[in-house]
Amino acid sequence: MKLSVNSEIAFTYLFARKKQTVIAALGVMFGVSMFIFMQSLMKGTNDYFEKQSFNTTPHIRLYSENKVADTHILDSFIKDASVKILVNPKQLLQRQGIINPNGVISRLRKDPELSFITPQVTTNVIYTSGSVQLNGTVAGVDIIQEDKMFDVQGNMVVGDFRDLNRVNNSILIGKGIAGKLSLHVGDNITVASGTGSPMIMKIIGIFQSGVKLVDETKSYANIVQAQSLLGKDRSYVTDIKINLKDYNKAPAKAREIETITGYKAEDWVQANAQLKTAFKIRAMILNSVVGVILLVAGFGIYNILNMTIYEKIKEIAILKATGFSGYSVISIFLQQAIYIGLMGAVIGIGIGFLITYGFSKVYIGGPNPTSGTLSYIPMSFYIPHYVEAIFFGLITTIAAGYFPARKASRVDPVTIIRG
Amino acid sequence: MNSIALKAKNIVKYFNDPVTLKVLDDISFEVKTGEFVSIVGKSGCGKSTLLYILSTMDTTYEGELEVNHQKVTGLSLNQLAAIRNSSIGFVFQFHYLLPDFTCLKNVMIPALRLGKYSYKEVEERAYEKLKMFGVEEQALKHAGKLSGGQQQRVAIARALINDPAIIMGDEPTGNLDSKNTAIVFDLFQRLSKEFQQTIITVTHDEDFARRSDRIIEMSDGRIINQH
Ligand SMILES: Nc1ncnc2c1ncn2[C@@H]1O[C@H](COP(=O)(O)OP(=O)(O)OP(=O)(O)O)[C@@H](O)[C@H]1O
Ligand SMILES: [Mg+2]
Repeated sequence: MKLSVNSEIAFTYLFARKKQTVIAALGVMFGVSMFIFMQSLMKGTNDYFEKQSFNTTPHIRLYSENKVADTHILDSFIKDASVKILVNPKQLLQRQGIINPNGVISRLRKDPELSFITPQVTTNVIYTSGSVQLNGTVAGVDIIQEDKMFDVQGNMVVGDFRDLNRVNNSILIGKGIAGKLSLHVGDNITVASGTGSPMIMKIIGIFQSGVKLVDETKSYANIVQAQSLLGKDRSYVTDIKINLKDYNKAPAKAREIETITGYKAEDWVQANAQLKTAFKIRAMILNSVVGVILLVAGFGIYNILNMTIYEKIKEIAILKATGFSGYSVISIFLQQAIYIGLMGAVIGIGIGFLITYGFSKVYIGGPNPTSGTLSYIPMSFYIPHYVEAIFFGLITTIAAGYFPARKASRVDPVTIIRG
Repeated sequence: MNSIALKAKNIVKYFNDPVTLKVLDDISFEVKTGEFVSIVGKSGCGKSTLLYILSTMDTTYEGELEVNHQKVTGLSLNQLAAIRNSSIGFVFQFHYLLPDFTCLKNVMIPALRLGKYSYKEVEERAYEKLKMFGVEEQALKHAGKLSGGQQQRVAIARALINDPAIIMGDEPTGNLDSKNTAIVFDLFQRLSKEFQQTIITVTHDEDFARRSDRIIEMSDGRIINQH
């Protein structure tokens, strides 16, 4: 029996009103388990979409951007305080692509936080097969690096992507292109970019990313092939794709790379701005639902404690008469709230886990389960959610318990005892 | 051994509801350590009101109160609670026990609060006190299930548990038969004589009052006689 008197009294009161205690705890339990379920669902979905976006976008894409004409040349010549106005400024044609890409890449390689760096030549093309034409893009890549970054292998439908390095004039096309032009592995396809001369290329494989727009337009070629498709030399590179060890650092890293290289570095957050907005809105909706649940649970506790205090007002007066201080009385009633909260929170995280686990087993049938498309409801099992749930559950109970407890501590024993 | 256990100086108390009423008018007296004092007077003359002030529970009065040479007027509520816990035992006019707890627990709670003895010791002491008043058999019963007289005896046991320097009772024997009244009286007398505990009780029992050390007689909020 190591319990303090305050705790002992708190427990006695809780046990004397088992039913109300349980109901109040159920309220907290409901709030906590819903909190966990919703957070798990939200994080699961967000993670899924985030991961999905990394199947197609690198953490950072470095490229040269056309700039709108500005006044900086004027500024350097006319160094007075005059106001310079450019009328109707236009995009300035920069030299396309990244100058001295190898220099840039070897410089980036020195940064230990970057895990992958690979150059790419992207070009818009027209695919022709027979009399049918199709617009699309060719990504000239180092396919081995590309596979490491984006799991090309996982998207392969037929063929071996490594053949891009072995077979001359080879191309790996999206499933949509193959379908529209009715092409198979081993067939030839004519590919024409805006600048170089058209090339006849041999199809060595077909991939499916699951994103329709990509599958109907994109194909991979060896980077050298893409350069000659554009009629450019070996040093012509349009993008450098960079992955980080920790993708959350991408935005800061991108700014750093921008200042080092002078090129535009677009991080995945910018590239997927709409994704992040969707995350935010989803978070807002779910958090307000959880907030309301916890609020209701809080009112439950507030209510039961208020009722207890109303009923026990004489006993509070006696406790105070026999020498219990206001602090002790607060402690007695706050402890009741905390025990209710703890009980609800502990059961709540158990139930929250079970619900989360249950939902993670619900099959919602992706079109192609093997290609990484959604087949089960994405739920995350993330310890901090559980910690947060307990935290919010307890904060709610303590807040809900504090006011009745304070009221109890202010009971004037004489008024009550005199009757 | 003539030290002063309690000293009231010019205590005045008003009630403002429904009309301003002067319930206590310039009450001054002293009680020596180990003295057994009875307060008597007609119903409504202000005995309970005075006792609440003496017990430090009521703080809305004019005048000054000293307990064990310490001025208690103006202390914070929490300080007063600590003084009550350690130095004052109180038996209410209507025995107020905590009905959710056993009689034993009821007696133990103030001692557990004080924390001077271990749980085991407190339990033993509480048993002892219950035995003194012949209610040890009710020890494990819930307080709500006792007769009025039994409850009152448990309440007296509770008032004694911390060996308070001052024991105050508001008609502590009001519900007891003559046999139990005699037990309580003898015990009070022993506590005051042997253990130098000061006893202040309000009583309507003339016999009880006459046998105590001193009677303070009140009327309309004033002390009209002491003998
Ligand atoms: N809360 C209150 N508000 C207003 N007047 C009160 C209040 N409590 C008591 N009184 C009045 O104060 C006076 C003294 O009351 P008190 O309870 O001290 O009397 P008492 O001497 O203990 O009487 P009894 O012997 O019946 O217990 C009474 O006239 C009573 O009506
Ligand atoms: Mg009275």
